[in-house]
Amino acid sequence: MVKLEFEHRQAGHCESGVTRNLLNYHNFSISEPMAFGIGAGLFFSYLPFLKMQHAPTTSFRVWPGEVFDRATRELGVKTAIHKFRNPKDSMDKLNEVLEKGFPVGLQVGTYHLPFFPPEYRMHYNMHNMIAYGHDNGTYFISDTLMENLVEITYEDLIRVRFAKGAFAPQGRMYYPTFVPKNIDIKPAIIKGIRKTAYNMTGIPFPLIGAKGIRYLSGRMRKWEKKLGPEKASYYLGQVLRMEEEVGTAGAGFRFIYGAFLDEASTVLNQPWLKDISVEMGENANKWREFSYLGSRNCKKRGKPDQSYDFLADMLLDVADREEKIFRQLAKIK
Amino acid sequence: MGNSTDDLKDPSPGDNELIYTYNRELFYHFDKEKGFTQEVHYQNPDNQVIIKQSWDAAEQRLDEVKQLVIIGKLSPIAYYMEKILMEVPMLAAYMEISKWRVKRHLKRKVFNKLKPEILAKYAAIFEIKVEALKNPDFLK
Repeated sequence: MVKLEFEHRQAGHCESGVTRNLLNYHNFSISEPMAFGIGAGLFFSYLPFLKMQHAPTTSFRVWPGEVFDRATRELGVKTAIHKFRNPKDSMDKLNEVLEKGFPVGLQVGTYHLPFFPPEYRMHYNMHNMIAYGHDNGTYFISDTLMENLVEITYEDLIRVRFAKGAFAPQGRMYYPTFVPKNIDIKPAIIKGIRKTAYNMTGIPFPLIGAKGIRYLSGRMRKWEKKLGPEKASYYLGQVLRMEEEVGTAGAGFRFIYGAFLDEASTVLNQPWLKDISVEMGENANKWREFSYLGSRNCKKRGKPDQSYDFLADMLLDVADREEKIFRQLAKIK
Repeated sequence: MGNSTDDLKDPSPGDNELIYTYNRELFYHFDKEKGFTQEVHYQNPDNQVIIKQSWDAAEQRLDEVKQLVIIGKLSPIAYYMEKILMEVPMLAAYMEISKWRVKRHLKRKVFNKLKPEILAKYAAIFEIKVEALKNPDFLK
């Protein structure tokens, strides 16, 4: 039996929330937007050839695991990350680490998570949560999506840790082992911003970053003709789901990122970042407007409320905004 | 919750009703005066519409597959796969066999000749009895 003194705090995004909560446990105070920004979590990609839930994959964030890896690396925090073939090994290791007094981050699939909101129980393998103790086959869990602390049985935990399919977690567990006393977060912030600026404007590939948003916009114009109104609205719905629903805190992480820039401007004492954070906030509101108008097409299914051309124009607008924002951010010193 | 408060922008009924109220989540907002703020709330009604659409689409797909199983074109595996929201690549990963084999098993003719071990493995993933896999209720 072990139950660590763990403070449960909700977060907008599971992985940056987990990163923050784990670091907070080790007495390093950092906000969720900070963890997200240093981890360079913001992204955009549209991959029409990769189908998820019968629709093209849209992503507003980087690869799972990267936020934690990057944020801790840049901050000089030492971590341990394990993956497993054998479920029993993975549980033994988890027990061992918990007994040593470390709360552990776990990557899990959401379909079999018993405490998860029923409406989200789809096969999504990139969810993160923290185990902070166990007792006689019951594990104590802090999930940043949930209002309260939760529990899960040994068998169910194996099940979700070894969910299969795209991005299978393979029992991935991770935790900080050593957090230095005096961390200077300034260089980490700058590096994080540069990385995101590069991801959003510098990658010479049409499906990624601001270019990716434009590409999606172009595709969207053709959906209704090509797929029919029903399927077009379904495709749109999947884009909006990735933007608003799967733990993005709204507008595909754009709000969190704006809050990060706001905080960064104070920490770095660079007032121009504050202006950019406002631009980012406005950009996020544009995304939200897009999803608000788009959701009406999803509601009416057959009869679109807004033409897809109109929605595509909105996307072009946010693409321009983001391009401008990140071109400026790339120059940070 | 009534629909008496007229929403001038969109008078369609049920506009502000929440469908899912299991858990409240944390959201961020931005306002020029207040800056960035956080709030714990349910998903807003617009987003809930999108979630619902996704589930409705899944239900519709399941129904279509069911019809194909009834006319004998697809095997019950196709039905149960759809029922637990899986697709061929994921089911193949759970079965630890190749995708094309799973695809073959979706054909009724191939399914009829499947070995009991394989059927048992499918049934375990679908969390049903082998009997139910061979003879789903809706075929009786």
